[in-house]
Amino acid sequence: MKLLLIEDEPLLLDEMDAYLTEQGYRCEKAMSFEAGEDKIALYEYDVIILDITLPGGNGLNLLQMLKNQHSEASILIVSAKDSLNDKLTGLNLGADDYITKPFHLEELNARVNALVRRKLFKGNAQIIVDDLIIDPIAKTVFYQGALVNLTKKEYELLLYFIVNKNRVVSKQSIAEHLWGDHYDMADNFDTVYVHTMNLRKKIAAHTGIDYLKTVYGMGYKFTSV
Amino acid sequence: MKLLTKTTQNFLLAMALILSIAGMALYLLLRQEVTAEIKEQLELQAELIADQVAQGKTVNFPLTTVAEVSADFPSEKRLGDTLIYDRLQQKNEGYYYLKLVKNVNQRNYRILVMTSYIGWERYYKTIFISFLGVALWMAFFGVLINYYSNRKIWRPFFMNLENLKQFSVRSAQPLQWHDSSITEFKELQYSLKDLTERSRREYLALREFTENASHEIQTPLGIIQSKLDRMSQLEVNEEMARYIVQAKSGVERLSKMNRNLLLLAKLDNQVYSERQFIYVDELLNQHLEQMEELFSVRGITLNKTLSPVQVKSDRYLCDVLLSNLLSNALRYTFSLSEIAIFLSEQQFIISNPGAALDFPSEHLFNRFTKSANQPQGTGLGLAIVHQICLLNGWTVTHNYRMGVHYFSIDFN
Repeated sequence: MKLLLIEDEPLLLDEMDAYLTEQGYRCEKAMSFEAGEDKIALYEYDVIILDITLPGGNGLNLLQMLKNQHSEASILIVSAKDSLNDKLTGLNLGADDYITKPFHLEELNARVNALVRRKLFKGNAQIIVDDLIIDPIAKTVFYQGALVNLTKKEYELLLYFIVNKNRVVSKQSIAEHLWGDHYDMADNFDTVYVHTMNLRKKIAAHTGIDYLKTVYGMGYKFTSV
Repeated sequence: MKLLTKTTQNFLLAMALILSIAGMALYLLLRQEVTAEIKEQLELQAELIADQVAQGKTVNFPLTTVAEVSADFPSEKRLGDTLIYDRLQQKNEGYYYLKLVKNVNQRNYRILVMTSYIGWERYYKTIFISFLGVALWMAFFGVLINYYSNRKIWRPFFMNLENLKQFSVRSAQPLQWHDSSITEFKELQYSLKDLTERSRREYLALREFTENASHEIQTPLGIIQSKLDRMSQLEVNEEMARYIVQAKSGVERLSKMNRNLLLLAKLDNQVYSERQFIYVDELLNQHLEQMEELFSVRGITLNKTLSPVQVKSDRYLCDVLLSNLLSNALRYTFSLSEIAIFLSEQQFIISNPGAALDFPSEHLFNRFTKSANQPQGTGLGLAIVHQICLLNGWTVTHNYRMGVHYFSIDFN
């Protein structure tokens, strides 16, 4: 999987690069409009992460260029502008998804993962971790053929953990992933805790394995055997 | 007072003054002239009568009397007026008379000649009426001329004024100015053009600044957040972990506050002027479904009475309004309590049991007002609610009765 990261902030770019590389993607970087333009013209990418506000030009123009080339790449727009208009403009121009700064890398990774799955398998790929089989279409989880009965939110949570496995995922990041950012989640972390614990119990009851570790104060980590 | 009214009024006042002075002067002059003329005529008549008396003829002038008087009769010459009964018209008529004593052929004669005059009141009246006529005509034509020249000369002015009333720094298209041949109006037009263009430029600069500032803040926040995430992947001890978590929550608050401030700035600038019909009940149900677990974890029950209601608003703003009110209720309600939501054509009411406010209730919708025991809020949520209601022409009110907070929005 080849990714192109177009972002003008070096520290953020490195962070994105490091994490996505850990996840097994091959990442290339561009730090300006021109650099992005050159890379787009020369190579094919599977996913392009595109910051709208770039030195040298508006990222939306790059998006337009990609569409004119009939590029196959999935495009994830990154913007610091939390406005519906930009979002709609981006999506109308043919972007596949939209994320607002500041974001959690786990969230970015989950979005990229979803794009890749949609692209490669038309969303039909089963996700397999040990003996856990997740069907993203039916949104069901099986363990050795038996259905693990999860609520909608628990399913989303499990998928989020698995996509970001072996990484500490903070409560904040979970809360934002499950409920968006409008309910002032800062004082609702109890809810995250309750959900995570319920999920942990259900998975453990089926598998006998405790996949979810609590990392003191920080959040939780999903580790495969 | 309108300009036309004012100028017409001044014009009429000045004209009334000028005409009355002119009328008076005319009257006085005329009177003097006529009196002098009559006097001359009477003197001539007296002279003629004296001639006839000298020739021994019988005096045969109307309205004259000649009487011989003694030689030592004091010589006099008196001009006066008197009233004489007119049998024909059956009323007293005014007459001028000249009484004089003349010496004819060494004999003294007293001669009285008279002539009628039109009563001065009548002169006065005639002059007054003719002047009044002139005044009325002049006023009428003055107003007419004023009105038409007003329509013609002032038209560009009024059009530009109308234009200016419609002016908004937000609108993208420049104002259409109407040219006038009048120098003052030209100057006004140039100044206004300059003013509007300058304020639009400044507004755009400000808007750009706000957006850029927000962008510039979001990116460093993104860096801090990603680095803190990176730190939390490392093996850290408990103390370290605590610091990282605290730093994270600070970043979270900062970014939330920044977003809210940006939204408030946009509301102030009325960026959201698009309105569409929205089913509030559908939007509410979506939110409630999303928040289901947030309620259930704290054992909060939901009592909702929703009728299908359509309002006209910006979709995004309506969304923000509802989510702010819902998360506000969720945050301040007691655990295991009941949140009630009521929606009708007229109003939306959300109520939750909760502790009394620890600040004056009139500050509730102000920016950065927050409860002392809830420091993690931004204190902007309800200010945003208030601003959105203003924009949509709704009113939001808060009541606290029997330990329950009620927030109600009237859609009218």
